[in-house]
Order: sequence, then C-alpha cells, then structure tokens
Amino acid sequence: METLKLIYLNTTFYLSFFLFSALGIPLLTLLVAFLSLFMSHRSIMKRFRRAISWYGTVVIRLLPFPLVRIRYKDYAKDDETDPYIFVCNHRATSDAFLMACLPYEIVQVVNIWPFRIPVLGIFARWAGYLSVREMPFEEFSRKAIELLGQGVSIVVLPEGTRSGDKTMGQFHGSIFRVALKAKCPIAPLCIAGNENIINRGSLLLRAGTIKVHKLPALQWEEYKDMKPFKLKNRVRDIIARELAVMDKEA
Amino acid sequence: MTTTTEQEIITLTNQVFEESFEIEKEKLQPQMNIFEDLGLDSLDVVDLVVALQEKFGVKIRDDERVRSIRTLGDIYQFILNLKTGGASAIVSDQKE
Repeated sequence: METLKLIYLNTTFYLSFFLFSALGIPLLTLLVAFLSLFMSHRSIMKRFRRAISWYGTVVIRLLPFPLVRIRYKDYAKDDETDPYIFVCNHRATSDAFLMACLPYEIVQVVNIWPFRIPVLGIFARWAGYLSVREMPFEEFSRKAIELLGQGVSIVVLPEGTRSGDKTMGQFHGSIFRVALKAKCPIAPLCIAGNENIINRGSLLLRAGTIKVHKLPALQWEEYKDMKPFKLKNRVRDIIARELAVMDKEA
Repeated sequence: MTTTTEQEIITLTNQVFEESFEIEKEKLQPQMNIFEDLGLDSLDVVDLVVALQEKFGVKIRDDERVRSIRTLGDIYQFILNLKTGGASAIVSDQKE
C-alpha cells in the first residue's frame, strides 16, 4: 500500500509539475509582457512577483495534494502597508516554494545556485532576487533597503544551506544589519516537516504534512539597541523554540 | 612600558567576545570554533578585528594568517604572535 502511494504521488506530482511548468511559465510570462505595454515598471514588477507567487503556490500546495498537506498558522496578511523581513529556518529545498505562498510582494535572498536552475533561475533574476554571495555587503544592503522602501518584503534563509534534518545552523548576519538600518520589522517563520517529504540528495517525494508558522514580528523599537550579532541570535532562538514545539507535536 | 602575558591576552580577548558579541563566559573555550560554535559570520569577523585592534592597540592586516583562524585558541595564538613576533609569551604592550 505504501509503495503504491509513493508511486502515485511521484508520478502525479512530476507529470503535473512538468506539464504545469511547460504551460504555466510561458503563459504567465506572456501575460506580464503584454501588461508591460500599458503599465509602469514598478506595477509590472509587482505583477511579475505575484505571478511567481502563484506558480510557487500551485507547485507546493496543489500538485502534491492530498498526500502532502501544508498547515499554515498565522500566515494571513496582517498589515497593508509595512514590508517585512521574513526570516526562516532552512531544512529543505521546498522552503523557497513555501515562501512564495506568502501573501506579500516578496523578493528572496538566495545563494548562487538557485540562479543556475534552468528557467526558474532566470525568472528569479528578473524578479530582482538578491544573490547575497555575488555582491559585496554594501551593495546587498543598498538593494535590500531600496526594495523595502518600495514596499517589497524580503525573505531570507540565514542558515544559507539547508540542513536536511531537524538541526539548525548558525545564522548569517547580513539581513539583520539591513533590518537595523532600514528600521524594518522582522517576522520569524518556522517550517517543519518538509525535511521528511524529500530527503537531501533525493528526488523521491514522500507523503506527509508540512507545518508553517508565522510568528509575531519584532518591531524596530524592540531591537534597535541590539548589536547585529545579538539580534540574529535572538531571532534564531525564537525560531528554535517554536520548532521544538512543532517537532514535538508531529 | 608594560608587559602582556599569555593569560592577559586570553582574558582581554574573552572580554572582546563578551563585550562585542555578548557571548557567555562559559562558552569561551580555546577549542571553540568561532563560526560553528560561537556563531560569528564574515561581517562579525570584521567587527571582531576592529575590537581586537582597539583592545590590544595593534594593527591587524587582512592576510592569510587571519583567514586561517578557526578557533578561539587560534585567536589567542595570533594575538600572541602579533605582539611577540612569535618569540615569547611575555610581550610589550604597544598601548603604553
């Protein structure tokens, strides 16, 4: 029974993934290109990022359903104006897709390799995703603050590399220095369960439940006197505590 | 002219970690990896270098010796070498 479930899940997911990508990506691109004839660059970028968000939502929520389910907690948009810096733990590749479901206009901070993924990498570059390893901190900081100023939220996985299990690596502090400078609220996000869906180094999908919890944001007034090192570890502790509860519940 | 002993170098370096990064004293053991165990990143290292320069009144250049530092013990040794030229555990304090 378990084997049949695995075959069903993997066949339906990968077939529908390739089919949806082959049709959906060109369609969304054409739509955005058509709209660009009538709209400003800023409006187009907004729609382009929303199109990426739709794509990610379909891939992560719809295609593997019902064998892979996602339970969100406090994920709804709670503010119409403020952009956030979303800080998330990193156990699996699917984190990037899960972040795409956030109901905000977002740009993700990525390592070099996501830009090298065929098609998706090009779209990430066009959407203004920030490749943190390919630019000096000053340039990264300037671009991030510019995006926040436009109302675009930034998603970052400060561990840098996925752990593949329940452990959490040390955080890199770049984005926390940006937060201090930009006076931007920091929203911790916790993802648990996806480390069991696809094991590191494998493409085989397994049935399971992924839990995503958005925690209350730390406002600038609360952290303005902290040094970047203390701030990154404070956020890491908050995420670690919530993950411990989430893992216990599983 | 005053002298700085190896023990003083350890104490002052640990002070830098406590003051600049608020790391608990108990964690400051020579075998601790400053990246994996203490959680510093490349930007924190820049802050660390500035703080060490101020604390010891020395100039730390971004060279191969700095880039090879991994543990807290490596930092003690590096400062010691910097102040002695690698010769002795009892050294002159350039601040004085």
